[in-house]
Amino acid sequence: MASTFKGLPIALNLPQFENHEKQEGKYTTCYMCACRCGIKVTVEDNEVRFIQGNKNHPVNKGVLCAKGNAGIMKQKSPAKLQQPMMRKKGSERGTGEFEPVSWDVALDYLSERLEKIRNTDPKKLAFFTGRDQMQALSGLWAQQYGTINWAAHGGFCSVNMAAAGLYSIGHAFWEFGDPDWDNTKYFMLWGVAEDHASNPIKIGLEKIKRRGAKFVSINPVRTGYQAIADEWVPIKPGTDAILALSMIHVLMKNDLFDWEYLVRYTNSPYLVYNTPGESTDGLICRDAEGNPQSWDLEKEALVDGSLPEIKPALFGEYTSADGKALKTVFTLLAERYLDDQYSPAEASKVCGVAADDIERMALEMAHVAFEETIEINCEWTDWAGRKHDKFIGRPVSMHAMRGISAHSNGFQACRAIHLLQIMLGSVDVPGGHLAKPPFPKHIVPPIKPAKPTSPGQPLNSPPLGFPTCPEDLVIDDDGKPLRIDKAYSWDAPIANHGLMHMVITNAVKGDPYPIDTLIIFMANMSWNSTMNTSSVRDMLTEKDESGEKDENGDYKYKLPFLVVADAFHSEMTAFADLILPDTTYLERYDTISILDRPISEPHAVCDAIRAPVIEPDRDVRPWQEVLVDLATRLKFPAFTKEDGSPKYEGYNDFVINYEKAPGLGFLAGWRGEDGSKSLRGEPNQNQWQDYIDNECFFEHKLPKEHHYYRFANKGYLEFAKESGFIGSSKPIIMELYSESLQKFRLAGQGLYDGPQPKNDYDKHRMVTYFDPLPDYYEPLEQQATSSTEYPFFAITQRPMMMYHSWDSQNAWLRQILAQNYMYMNRQKAEEMGIVDLSWIWVESENGKIRVQVKLMEGVESNTIWTWNAIGKQRGAWGLDPTANESNDGFLLNHLISEHLPSKSADRAVTNSDPITGQAAWYDLQVKIYPAAAGETGTWPTFDTIKPMPGAEKPVSKLQYQTHKAVGLHRSMRDILTRGKTKRDDS
Amino acid sequence: MHPAFSVIFFTVTSGAGYGLIAITAIYSAFDFSQPMTGAQTLMLSAVALVLITSGLISSTFHLANPKNAWRAFSRVRTSWLAREGLLAILFYPIVMLYVYLVWRGVDASSSTAMTTLALITGVWAIVTVFSTGMIYASLKTIRQWNNALTPVNYISLGLMLGGLLFSWLLSLSGNVSANLTMVASYMVVIAATIKIVYFFWIGTPAGPTINTATSFTARTVRLLDVGHTAGTFLTDEFGYQVARDRLVALRWIAIILGFVLPSLIIWFGLGEGDNTLMLGAAVISAFAGVAVERWLFFAEARHVVNLYHGAQQC
Amino acid sequence: MKLGLVVDLDTCVGCNACAVACKQWNTSGTTGPLTDLEPYGKDPTGVWFNRIRNYELGDYPDNKTVHFPMSCMHCEDAACVTVCPTGASYKREEDGIVLVDQDKCMGCNLCAWACPYGARELDPEEGVMKKCTLCVDRIYDEALPEDERQPACVMTCPAHARFFGDFDDPNSEVSRLSRERGGEHLMPELGYKPVNTYLPPRNKPNIPTYKNETNPIEKVKDWVNRLVAR
Repeated sequence: MASTFKGLPIALNLPQFENHEKQEGKYTTCYMCACRCGIKVTVEDNEVRFIQGNKNHPVNKGVLCAKGNAGIMKQKSPAKLQQPMMRKKGSERGTGEFEPVSWDVALDYLSERLEKIRNTDPKKLAFFTGRDQMQALSGLWAQQYGTINWAAHGGFCSVNMAAAGLYSIGHAFWEFGDPDWDNTKYFMLWGVAEDHASNPIKIGLEKIKRRGAKFVSINPVRTGYQAIADEWVPIKPGTDAILALSMIHVLMKNDLFDWEYLVRYTNSPYLVYNTPGESTDGLICRDAEGNPQSWDLEKEALVDGSLPEIKPALFGEYTSADGKALKTVFTLLAERYLDDQYSPAEASKVCGVAADDIERMALEMAHVAFEETIEINCEWTDWAGRKHDKFIGRPVSMHAMRGISAHSNGFQACRAIHLLQIMLGSVDVPGGHLAKPPFPKHIVPPIKPAKPTSPGQPLNSPPLGFPTCPEDLVIDDDGKPLRIDKAYSWDAPIANHGLMHMVITNAVKGDPYPIDTLIIFMANMSWNSTMNTSSVRDMLTEKDESGEKDENGDYKYKLPFLVVADAFHSEMTAFADLILPDTTYLERYDTISILDRPISEPHAVCDAIRAPVIEPDRDVRPWQEVLVDLATRLKFPAFTKEDGSPKYEGYNDFVINYEKAPGLGFLAGWRGEDGSKSLRGEPNQNQWQDYIDNECFFEHKLPKEHHYYRFANKGYLEFAKESGFIGSSKPIIMELYSESLQKFRLAGQGLYDGPQPKNDYDKHRMVTYFDPLPDYYEPLEQQATSSTEYPFFAITQRPMMMYHSWDSQNAWLRQILAQNYMYMNRQKAEEMGIVDLSWIWVESENGKIRVQVKLMEGVESNTIWTWNAIGKQRGAWGLDPTANESNDGFLLNHLISEHLPSKSADRAVTNSDPITGQAAWYDLQVKIYPAAAGETGTWPTFDTIKPMPGAEKPVSKLQYQTHKAVGLHRSMRDILTRGKTKRDDS
Repeated sequence: MHPAFSVIFFTVTSGAGYGLIAITAIYSAFDFSQPMTGAQTLMLSAVALVLITSGLISSTFHLANPKNAWRAFSRVRTSWLAREGLLAILFYPIVMLYVYLVWRGVDASSSTAMTTLALITGVWAIVTVFSTGMIYASLKTIRQWNNALTPVNYISLGLMLGGLLFSWLLSLSGNVSANLTMVASYMVVIAATIKIVYFFWIGTPAGPTINTATSFTARTVRLLDVGHTAGTFLTDEFGYQVARDRLVALRWIAIILGFVLPSLIIWFGLGEGDNTLMLGAAVISAFAGVAVERWLFFAEARHVVNLYHGAQQC
Repeated sequence: MKLGLVVDLDTCVGCNACAVACKQWNTSGTTGPLTDLEPYGKDPTGVWFNRIRNYELGDYPDNKTVHFPMSCMHCEDAACVTVCPTGASYKREEDGIVLVDQDKCMGCNLCAWACPYGARELDPEEGVMKKCTLCVDRIYDEALPEDERQPACVMTCPAHARFFGDFDDPNSEVSRLSRERGGEHLMPELGYKPVNTYLPPRNKPNIPTYKNETNPIEKVKDWVNRLVAR
């Protein structure tokens, strides 16, 4: 409930505290995390007086989190890079010996090097970006360059969520969907301590709490959002799938699912071949045109299952025209989940949640979905042209994130959660889980990952896409990976976001091949964003075995050239050969584009920009400007006119005039020559100013009849097609059963008519994990780790006031959290004789760390956890080497191997989800024991990073203010005459 | 509470000074069998004023912004600190007049006016010490202070130190009587009794708890995170904590040095001849003991803000 | 007027937004700067008017985490004001805001000693006591839109767990919320009559379970297909 506060009567006799004439309020978009809230920045003499949430902004509606409020201290950080730097010739990489160079020198050198690579073997350039919000641009850049070795950080972040959603419901959690906060009556939060959707979740939780809806949280740790949950379910990490499936079991046992919804909007009634041992097994039976077949109960015949008005059987076994056995998808599903292994009693043994609670939660949700149904009166037309007079809502909603995502069974676990939502009929309905435009999309979007590369040529498709069958894999004829991160290989066939966490290891080991240059933008791959931090740091400085030096007298490294683009002096910049300093978010133009990671709301198509609010005081350039510059220098076709001259004057010009398809560009607002068109229209030369005039965002509200059931909503689907969100206005059929996964499974079984894995290990993975129905399997690392020797699960949580490593440099935020502890269950610790605040060793198969332990109630007994990414290398991020982060804080990353334990595979295989390649951060198992007396302080520690030449010296005292305080004074008369303090008596 | 040296020094020395001047002035007002000479009175008063003044000066050292110290008298209507300040300042003209008249040879017991002035001087000194005690006693946030024993304790210790000083200083000029030193020893016994009662009294936890502090009265409340990694003004100022066994040891030291030794010296250590050395030893021991006592007074005080930092009760 | 805050413990997720918004506004505000020491070194510390602590109620697994923001309660009977010798600390007659006149404070700390809530912090560089002003430099500023004439902490709170208003007005949002939700005062036994109230976490909503007792499904064959048009 937003406050209804309307201001006080204005008091007299107050001084003018703020000189408003000297101040200017400018709007832009926050970048203290990936939430992308609208902010209003009050600027006074090129200094920031105040940053507040923009109350008109669709994302944050006026509120702002702790990080957003600390933007001033990001701007004041002494870690800001000042100018381009090159590693000193002859100095050892990683020793921090840099010399400043001009932008011209830096870019001349880089473009020359890149041109050489591009004209020989473009994939020898690997370009990976961290938590950036310009993947549309950097992806286009990579495509134009011609390297398939591009991805952003999704592979170690959330690809399981995105992929599971896009392969099941056509949208997903996080950027692609939201709970219907305004209508939901039962909200279940899975594995989210804090999320990038920072403010929207908080705004939403408040709404449901105030309305009296029930909030259940599934999380081994009770911090953050779980604190205000009405029910906290301390689950064992990595077992969420069995909990979801057991609830499905309960729903099935009680015949509680949305029959109409399943028949109309999902592939439940499709018929699947039940022909074990044959190449058709598990594939959907289709007619000659490729239409899925269903059994019509009235006609008693096979019919095109995609037609309206058929009466398809949800259950049953039938026979195909050519005499093969068929079952409906839902029959397969029911057979699977009715099995006793999914009963609450059995599931409880795996996930640790009491059987009664599993059953109760399932039946509570059923009650809300089916007994507290919402009906919103609104006329709408379905995909077949049928008019409806209301939207029926099943007001159960869910949100899930990292706790699901960061396990090697996360893709299937997330699919299991989506299945539960679909069974309840709660996807894109009032009170349920809503898609955010441009989603939902058809399952799956028809983009295939690029495969062939050729010198001097752009790729013929984007580097990342959505494989649906083994033919789409990016492998050579021998089945070997073509990408440096081995995405889209048998290791991770549906690696839709790449595997950034494998790039350095693979490149240094030359597996599958060595590269020449790695460009890293805004990612801390030598520290908290990598697994196995110590050994990856060693790899970054691993030299060519020959020991020879190059013609410049410089060492030859296995990773020959490393470019780091970032605004701050991180652990990663220390390893760079070339540093390209970026601006801060308050100093530049940006687009938050629908082509990229959208910020739409469920009922509004939105995008936004950043516009500079203060002038940079350093020799830095926005990275997107540098990318456009490089693209122009390298004469990428999309950036070059036919006469060879540059097509765009710079980033701003590019954003206005680049068209992905006619009328579709980076920004959807104020299109058309005069800015009168929305979503689609000719370039508008005044577009940036139009955004600035509208507080830097664009919001196209959807009409009420487009609010729900958009997967089957004719009006919406046509609108989405016209707007370029989807390629066809056909209905989007949700896939409970994934035929795509089954094709990989068939390949593993040797039954697929196409590429098949050659070795037993890959076959095993395809057969075991590519289950067309969501299922639970023990996380991969845990399968190969003794739980008697390593009895604890170790995970991280995200603190709300910090965003990864971005904020330890922040003088205000780090006061709140400068040291992380290892938290464990108090009763468990007492059993083990572990004392609060003592130092303990935490050991995994990969290594050990020494950390300080803190006892608490709110953590599952066999789980230990810590805040993510608080530990820092000494001297990094502008911090003094004595900083708490570097001496008492720690990283869990040292314990996590980027490879699975050797006994589990026949080769080095990524410690990731076997389907998507999502880094399995949370599969870690450890043992703990007290450190010896006198053993204190974090371990391991590393050498102190040298300050950059010209870096600001960190101050020991900070007294930030944009103007001298205007005090409020008490009169001497009042002091001498006022009696008691009580106001009433005065 | 964090024991600040300047405040310990201030309360001990100025307390002793006020005690000494109180005893001196009051003693001078009455026609005892062993009257003091004018010179003795002047000498005692001078020592007292030195103690008082150095204590008061020291007290400004703990001010973060001493340039505004002059404003400290503004709020006598409500503030015990202002009252103490005002009493201390106004004491100077009174005591100076008293000293001046003594210097001019006016015998304090000789005229009603002078007797009255001497008595006013003595009582004013005691009231000043009382107001020092009330600064602490008025704080409801600190259970160990917020009681009547606090000002009584300040007065009794001030008088005790004053009494011991009085005997010793008189012995320097050779004419302290055994009776007078006995009276001083009774003052020690009274101060000791009050302090020991105090030690027992603060031993029982009472007052607000972490439950009333957080309003969650039905369940166990434990601190999970204090919200900042390093210390803050609050933890520095109020978080001061001493190990239990160390506290007990210090209490014994305070009692032995402050009370036991001085009493034993007076009761058993004094002979017929020159007792200056022995009395000096008693004074030094008592000062040391009271300094420890005063340190404990702060160190043992538990501010209720600690409840928010995890203490179950203060 | 009796101005103060209501903090809703039922929705506070402990994000620290209010604390940082406060820091941000007030460091350039009427009692700024809010000095930070060792901002990039060991044990960074500084002056804050609003701090968030976290508590756990009960024992695992029946435990609940509570986030607990605290700032000045603007007590009706403000002991910090009573003990102040210089008159720097005062409670405004007009609206009850407890303030420190920065030019008159001598930095004796006694007000902080008198405050049970830890609401006052000494700025060691400036030598004066600082505390929550209820953003007195915002709430009466006519240049701000009416709905922004609120303390920075209230405006920014993403979970809308903070409310600002006049407790003297029985119809104000703060009065109504305190009344309806059983707003609690902290340490009422000390008798300082804090103005701010804390709304306790609500009881769990009781959701019935929907159970089909009559025909539990045991196997797929137990279902009979229904005629549902696609």
